[in-house]
Amino acid sequence: MSLQKIDTKIRADITRRKRLDQWFSLLGLFALIICVLTIVILLVDMCYDGWERLRPEFFSNFPSRHASRAGILSAWVGSALVMLVTFFVSAPLGVATGVWFEEYAPRHWIRHLLEININNLAGIPSIVYGLLALGLFVHTFGLGQSIFTAGLTLSLLVLPVVIVATREAIRSIPTAMREGAYALGASHWQVVWDHVLPYSMPGILTGIILGMSRAIGETAPIITIGALTFIAFLPPAPWTDTWPYMHFEWLNAPFTVMPIQIFNWTSRPEAAFQKNAAAASVVLVTMTLLMNGFSIWLRNRLRKNLKW
Amino acid sequence: MNTHLSKKFDSELDAIRAHLTRMGGLVEEQIRAAITVYAEQDPELIETIISRDDRVDEMEILIDDACTHIVARRQPTAIDLRMVMGVGKVVTDLERIGDEAKKIAKATRHILERGINQDMTRVVEIGHLGGKVVSMLHDVLDAFVRLDVSSAAAVVRQDREIDAHFRSIVRNLITYMMEDPRTISTALEVLSISKSIERIGDHCKNIAKDVIYIANGRDVRHIGLDALEREINTPPITPG
Amino acid sequence: MVTSPITRSQISPTSLPQKAKVQDFSFYYGDFCALKNITMPLCEHRVTALIGPSGCGKSTLLRAFNRMHDLYPGNRYEGEIVLYPDNTNLLDHRVDPIEVRMRLSMVFQKPNPFPKSIYENVAYGLRVRGVKKRALLDDAIEEALTQAALWEEVKHRLRHMAFTLSGGQQQRLCIARALATQPEILLFDEPTSALDPIATAHIEERIHALKDQVTILIVTHNMQQAARVSDLTAYMYLGELVEFGYTDEIFIKPKEKRTEDYITGRFS
Repeated sequence: MSLQKIDTKIRADITRRKRLDQWFSLLGLFALIICVLTIVILLVDMCYDGWERLRPEFFSNFPSRHASRAGILSAWVGSALVMLVTFFVSAPLGVATGVWFEEYAPRHWIRHLLEININNLAGIPSIVYGLLALGLFVHTFGLGQSIFTAGLTLSLLVLPVVIVATREAIRSIPTAMREGAYALGASHWQVVWDHVLPYSMPGILTGIILGMSRAIGETAPIITIGALTFIAFLPPAPWTDTWPYMHFEWLNAPFTVMPIQIFNWTSRPEAAFQKNAAAASVVLVTMTLLMNGFSIWLRNRLRKNLKW
Repeated sequence: MNTHLSKKFDSELDAIRAHLTRMGGLVEEQIRAAITVYAEQDPELIETIISRDDRVDEMEILIDDACTHIVARRQPTAIDLRMVMGVGKVVTDLERIGDEAKKIAKATRHILERGINQDMTRVVEIGHLGGKVVSMLHDVLDAFVRLDVSSAAAVVRQDREIDAHFRSIVRNLITYMMEDPRTISTALEVLSISKSIERIGDHCKNIAKDVIYIANGRDVRHIGLDALEREINTPPITPG
Repeated sequence: MVTSPITRSQISPTSLPQKAKVQDFSFYYGDFCALKNITMPLCEHRVTALIGPSGCGKSTLLRAFNRMHDLYPGNRYEGEIVLYPDNTNLLDHRVDPIEVRMRLSMVFQKPNPFPKSIYENVAYGLRVRGVKKRALLDDAIEEALTQAALWEEVKHRLRHMAFTLSGGQQQRLCIARALATQPEILLFDEPTSALDPIATAHIEERIHALKDQVTILIVTHNMQQAARVSDLTAYMYLGELVEFGYTDEIFIKPKEKRTEDYITGRFS
């Protein structure tokens, strides 16, 4: 008799818990739908507004007073060049710093201080970086309001992300791999070069690309260091007809980037320019999504062979 | 039979089997010599038999030691476990057969010391009985090497003959002793020799039963011959 | 081979030819003394097993041989581990750990092949030493894989990734990797505890076959494995060496009661 009572009590409890499960999953689904719906609505609205502007000429025209003839040539070229500089500055610096922290840094209170500082750098508002860059790079170092300065500024932004990603990737390498390498007579540097770096590459690359896809949309620091908003020319091409067939003049050239061009068009009263802004936004979002997609593909590709 | 993944284990088991076969050969040789020496009464051969028994004892210790090592180091299971346990038992029986051969030689020595050679007719009977027992040992060792259950069962059956033959020898000896009391001391030695041979037959029967255990896993000690023959011919009972 | 019990116990293990000797060796993790005054010979061309309950220090002792403790801060050695015939003290801070690891190789508990091809795994030890010539590498790799009884199974797929092999094959790959550099001593740290019985039997068979070329020290928590595989056994408890002797003697009639209690499973 008492056995049956316990049974029904347990059964009621199980049913209650299952119901709780269902409610929770519905709640999650609801939240997801709201987020996705928001993004989809935004994107659809942007596409709808800017659709007629997305012609090949849009990409090959300079900005102009006539909305229909305005294009993003200088903007996307500027963005691409700035990203190039950002990559070549932040990637080696960030990876090297990450490797130093995980492999070489001795246990000392200074190291803890550095760790805390670097982790906090990721949270600093980007305008602060812009102000720092204005004072340091533009005036003190005299680098001017150039692509190089913009690249350096954005590198500061991206650096903490790369460092943290590098450290996390290195930490995920099992000790067994390291011990196996050391046990064969490898030196510390051989272990880092032959094993630690190759095995953490997927994580590192993901971190770099994610950092850069954030940087591509940054407006505040670039405006602060003085990117111009109406550029109707391109920086000089890096190649010449004479030896050494390459030069770095383009680093010092004035420039503009995509977010700034969008900002510029948005602040114009004419409705036609809003269409331009929408079209440019679509391009920027696509660039960002492409970069993220690329990083995911690359990571999966590289992770395929990393099994332990 | 498939070989073990560990060739060392295989060679250790092979070594034990080889040593046992060699010990069996030595013991067989001892019995043959003992029967011969009873007929030919060669004093040198008597001493050889007695001293050679030390080698038989040494081999017993060696093989037992090797079996202990295999159990300690290899944790044998199934057929390997039965082989090692079985070898331990067979070795004991072989050593006792060796002792019986030694006793036969010593009894012959006593007869010679008394300087009598009457009852020579007894020689033929003893030689016949001895020959049977030698072939029993030979057969059972063969059955061991091949793990042949039916040959082993045949050896168990043969022991009945040996027992019957022994009883007839005893009856004859009693007749002789009653006829002529002066023959009693010799007759008693001859009785002791026949008893030794009969015991050798018993040991061979035990070895045969051990062989059946190694091959089949069935313990057929202490059941009658008919029950034994039934046992080996019925398939094992499987649970469920 | 059945050898007479009398002759076996006449040769004391300490008078067998030695490859190394542990002399009054103590080891500290910070302040904690993990190994207390260990003295033990490592006999040449023999398999020596270290057995004992968890925490007895057997892995600690093994890893001291190739200075793996140097990778982590806060450890301290006292005493010596002398390698013959050149009488080098492996624990001396003047001796470079890299040199030590070039003469002693280790196989770990869980198979840990690098996420590279089979070829590159075996080649790594040689590459680290600067061997570049393709022909030399090819020969050494084939030799090592043959000694590990893996050559026939992988010779047609050397460029495949190591993780495509089964667990037992991966461990044999790790053995090949350790052998490629022709070490003088091979250290095994519970090499089969992650493998199934058949893979375990393969590895044990390899260990037996390899002892003619290289001296072997194996840590195992499986006593029966120590009985099957080793010639000499050392029983350790709470950082001390309780008994050392021939495996046959230890498993049939150990000298110390503590050893007997452990082996028979009589633990309080």
